[in-house]
Amino acid sequence: MYEFQYHRPNSLEDAAKLFDAAGDPQYLAGGQTLIPVMKQRLAMPSDLIDIGRIGDLHGITADKNALTIGAMTTHAQVASCDKVRESIPALASLANHIGDPAVRNRGTLGGSIANNDPAADYPAALVALGASVQTTSREIAAEAFFTGLFETALEEGEMIVKVTFPVTDCAGYEKFPNPASRYATVGVFVARTKERVRVAVTGAGLSVFRAGDIEAALETDFSPDALDGISISADGLNSDLHASAEYRANLIIVLARRAAAKANAA
Amino acid sequence: MPQLSLSVNARPVSADVEPRCLLSNLLREHLGLTGTHIGCDTSQCGACVVLVDGKAIKSCTMFAHQAEGCEVTTIEGLAGEGTLHPMQEAFRDHHALQCGFCTPGMIMASVALARDNPALDEAAVCKGLEGNLCRCTGYQNIIRAVLAGAKSMRGKHDV
Amino acid sequence: MEKYGIGQPVRRKEDVRFLTGKGVYIDDISRPNLVHAVILRSPHAHAKILKIDSSEAQTMPGVLAIVTGQDWEREDFAPIPTRSAVKTKISGAPLNQPPRHCLAIERARYVGEPVALIVAESSAQAQDAAESIEVDYEELEPVTDQVKALEPGAPQIWDDIEGNICLDFELGDKQATDKAFAAADHVVSLELRNNRVTAVPIETRGAIAEYDAASDSYLLHNATQNVHANRATFADVLKISPDKLHHVAPDVGGGFGAKNSGYPEPPLLLYAAKKLGRPVKWIADRNESFQGDTHGRDQASKVELALDSEGKFLALRTSTIGNLGAYCFTMGPFTPTAGSARTQGGPYDIPAMFYSAIAAFTNTMPLDPYRGAGRPEASFQIERVVELAARELGIDPVELRARNLMRADTLPRKTPMGLDVDTGDFPQLFERTLKMSDREGYAKRVQESRARGLRRGFAIAPYLECSGGMPKEFAGVTFASDGTITLSVGSQSTGMGHETSLPQILGARLGVDMDKIAYVQGDTDATPLGGGHGGSRGLEMGGSAVMTAANDIIAKARHIAAHMLNSTPDDISFANGAFTDVKTDQNIAMEDVIAASFEQGRLPSDMEPGCLDTGVTYERELITCPNGCHAAEVEVDPETGSINVERYWVVDDFGTIINPLLAEGQVMGGIAQGLGQALMENIVYDEESGQLVTGSLMDYALPRADSMPNMQLAFFEDAPTAKNPLGVKGAGEAGCCGAPPAIVNAVLDALKGDGVTHIEMPLTPEKVWRAIAGGKLSP
Repeated sequence: MYEFQYHRPNSLEDAAKLFDAAGDPQYLAGGQTLIPVMKQRLAMPSDLIDIGRIGDLHGITADKNALTIGAMTTHAQVASCDKVRESIPALASLANHIGDPAVRNRGTLGGSIANNDPAADYPAALVALGASVQTTSREIAAEAFFTGLFETALEEGEMIVKVTFPVTDCAGYEKFPNPASRYATVGVFVARTKERVRVAVTGAGLSVFRAGDIEAALETDFSPDALDGISISADGLNSDLHASAEYRANLIIVLARRAAAKANAA
Repeated sequence: MPQLSLSVNARPVSADVEPRCLLSNLLREHLGLTGTHIGCDTSQCGACVVLVDGKAIKSCTMFAHQAEGCEVTTIEGLAGEGTLHPMQEAFRDHHALQCGFCTPGMIMASVALARDNPALDEAAVCKGLEGNLCRCTGYQNIIRAVLAGAKSMRGKHDV
Repeated sequence: MEKYGIGQPVRRKEDVRFLTGKGVYIDDISRPNLVHAVILRSPHAHAKILKIDSSEAQTMPGVLAIVTGQDWEREDFAPIPTRSAVKTKISGAPLNQPPRHCLAIERARYVGEPVALIVAESSAQAQDAAESIEVDYEELEPVTDQVKALEPGAPQIWDDIEGNICLDFELGDKQATDKAFAAADHVVSLELRNNRVTAVPIETRGAIAEYDAASDSYLLHNATQNVHANRATFADVLKISPDKLHHVAPDVGGGFGAKNSGYPEPPLLLYAAKKLGRPVKWIADRNESFQGDTHGRDQASKVELALDSEGKFLALRTSTIGNLGAYCFTMGPFTPTAGSARTQGGPYDIPAMFYSAIAAFTNTMPLDPYRGAGRPEASFQIERVVELAARELGIDPVELRARNLMRADTLPRKTPMGLDVDTGDFPQLFERTLKMSDREGYAKRVQESRARGLRRGFAIAPYLECSGGMPKEFAGVTFASDGTITLSVGSQSTGMGHETSLPQILGARLGVDMDKIAYVQGDTDATPLGGGHGGSRGLEMGGSAVMTAANDIIAKARHIAAHMLNSTPDDISFANGAFTDVKTDQNIAMEDVIAASFEQGRLPSDMEPGCLDTGVTYERELITCPNGCHAAEVEVDPETGSINVERYWVVDDFGTIINPLLAEGQVMGGIAQGLGQALMENIVYDEESGQLVTGSLMDYALPRADSMPNMQLAFFEDAPTAKNPLGVKGAGEAGCCGAPPAIVNAVLDALKGDGVTHIEMPLTPEKVWRAIAGGKLSP
């Protein structure tokens, strides 16, 4: 690992000041992706600003319309929080299947979505649930937040504060894990709100995306059977050692059907 | 960088370490607690799992400075000198280790798992050990040991 | 004494150390004045090294030494020799052995080949320096696949080795085999691969080298399975006398074959330690391990089985192209040749067999024995072709196998491959396995699976392998007057529990408390010779050496006992830890005889205090034949291609079981590695660039706790071998022989309704899904 300066501010203001003052800074959340990357010398920030202890970034609140989760909330906290399990159980279940228990004890919601790994789980939940991302300067709708491969709408120095998830009628997430890394080879999040059905796919493209054909079919009939006969084009889907684009296209339909079944059972 | 202070195995520790010092480096190189092992570079193997404020974490994927003020427990601090923790005993009794390299991480993860899940079953143990690789045992004896160790912990009110 | 007897599930003595974090593995060792090494490795699969500029790196903070291939060449060190038991081609000419130097000289031939050694005060400084070394490469076209390496026009890896061929090999009666094929009613033929995998011990390799100028000698602590053989290798390289190198293995965190080889790093470290006069440590990271630990398997084979109209096997013909990687590693040329030939045909009665092989060089990390080293390949070949034969002939695969197993009353016999099969009862093991597997309930389970949208399949896979490894082993026993006994053995545990099982044998045979027996292994100063670990040899060789030593001790002690009982040795019997005068019935305990052995006054005049100290070399004549039968039941999700190995049964004949707890551990661990190879593990090189695609645990999948089925195990102990004094046959590699065919055939059984007859390992979900989808998909 390369050398860097470490800072641990206690407030958002201090964090911003530190960020502005540093040469090539990076925020450090749970570090579950960043630290391995730095260990392999694939990243060399001049300064790491550890935002793990900023009180404003923690906590989960819920009312009958929405669930709000602080950016530094760990996956384990989301998975085990009664408020999450009651209002959006699919989200708690998703969090409970990220990485492994030790990773879930350190990894955070904010860290995960800021990194926007194409195979991360959370982006699918945010997009399907129509969440909004509150940053230090603005509110960004999930779909506008995830802009590309490891890219987000975050500006230099802008930090995620919390994410608000509108409470849905029902939702389900189904993931086909990479056998080695346990990231999503494909993950499909199906959610039905009062207005409409949204289906978001992770792992299959450069970034999370919505599956329009599947949404349309489920809009008509919110049941797994509604997806019979629907196919997804493999064009533009990821193809790698573990899964070809064609196989991923198949998985999207299979997992969407299973996620819909879960949503119906919820 | 200010001096780092934390508690390791119930003893206060102060250290002056570089920002890039991982918690695993602090434990192994600065404190001589070499029971915490390193088996990969990508947070997959789990040989380095320790407890930080009671939670299982991968000490190779946390900077030492992130543990400022925390209580860290390593395999060396799990039981008193000359005694075995019920989970350690269960691993021995069920021949749940061979080369022993993954064992400290496996045991620390299992202890946390048992404490967090009062009603463990085989499936929960398998899921709970998702982040711990063993190349020797084929896991069956580990699963048996964790179930037995968890039961024994409950008997000793260590849950 | 009974609780520590042979056959008892004694809990391991080494465990407390490991359970409390007090094991001492290589990276746990430090030294005053220690410096750290990193290896700069080739980023290219095949490239000329035009120039290495380390001038900037030399000046960087903490940097102490940089060694390149040119420096190495200037020192005139020797290349690392292969110790393959097969040394010649069919023609009798020696195999082609290119020089394998510790650092690439002028040309790099695989990704990860060491190009330079960098030593600095800290590992981070060494890494910084390594990054600023400029190497000017001229890339050459690589070839990573052994079949393609043999094609005309393939890139030549060695200028003077035409066609990339290391050697060819054949075994068996070609004429008789061809004749049987010509006359057969059915010929079943299958082309298959045995995928390239690697051992992935959770502890990576590493070493600490020290040099003492006063005595001009070296001390090497090394995470190795084999201190003696590697001492000889490293001494050869450095052109020093082996007695100048003290080689010690601390606790070793798994090996499975991959820590057996003569690697390039230790000689580099020894050289640097002498040059700098400081201890030098190197610990591989995981990425480095995938690049630079030996790989295993990787064979492309054609298997043909000839049968008569009744389904009786008439002949087996196998031809294999083995991938050796860029060099002959320590045993590399042996595995795809004799290593895979000996157990061709498994436990079946096949009158004629012929095996032929070519071992080819490629631009990949060299291959060396990995748990089984040829026998898993042979077992997979026969079991896959038998399964296919059953399918093609319309015979139940269970029935076809049962019909062709060697019968117990035909043993001992020599197979057409020259393997001496002495004892066993293959049909009985087969029946026991079937019985365990609840065949009656199978139909119902198939229905239940179907109701959940899943396909269920079953397969049974008997196996016959052979074990033993290096043919000599040493055991030394020394007695101290305080009652402690020290046992030193040249075999080595890297997790198998020899610290328990070998004292258990000695204690049981001598009738002394095994807790009083200290155990020493992995140290060239502790035993004059040693075969280390490899070939399931721990008990067969190490245990037999201990037993031989124990018998020698008893013979000497008998003289002392006779003297003490005023009798003659011929009248003294020994049982249960006591010598008895058969005439007077007077007896004396072994422990008392041991105590007396320190007092001249209590000894016969021709014996001296300390006379019980014993060192023996046990030499094997014939390798043993572990055998058994695996069976697996799997569920396949046709929508995703996922496989769940649901149930698993094994009956093993390892001869005498010394400690069932440890024997079961070996079986289950072997099954896990076999399952890994069958379903998920795969070393992949990009064919075009020769880059290693699976360079981390993010891409190389290992079995986890939830990958494993519930395994039910049993041992058949009615046929101990007479090939060694313990009657043991070896246990370590058997799981790897049985599991891949049992699991793969069970999956294919599940998919028989889909018309699927073959899928190459590993059976990843995508491959399975594609096989099911068949013609419905574009290629």
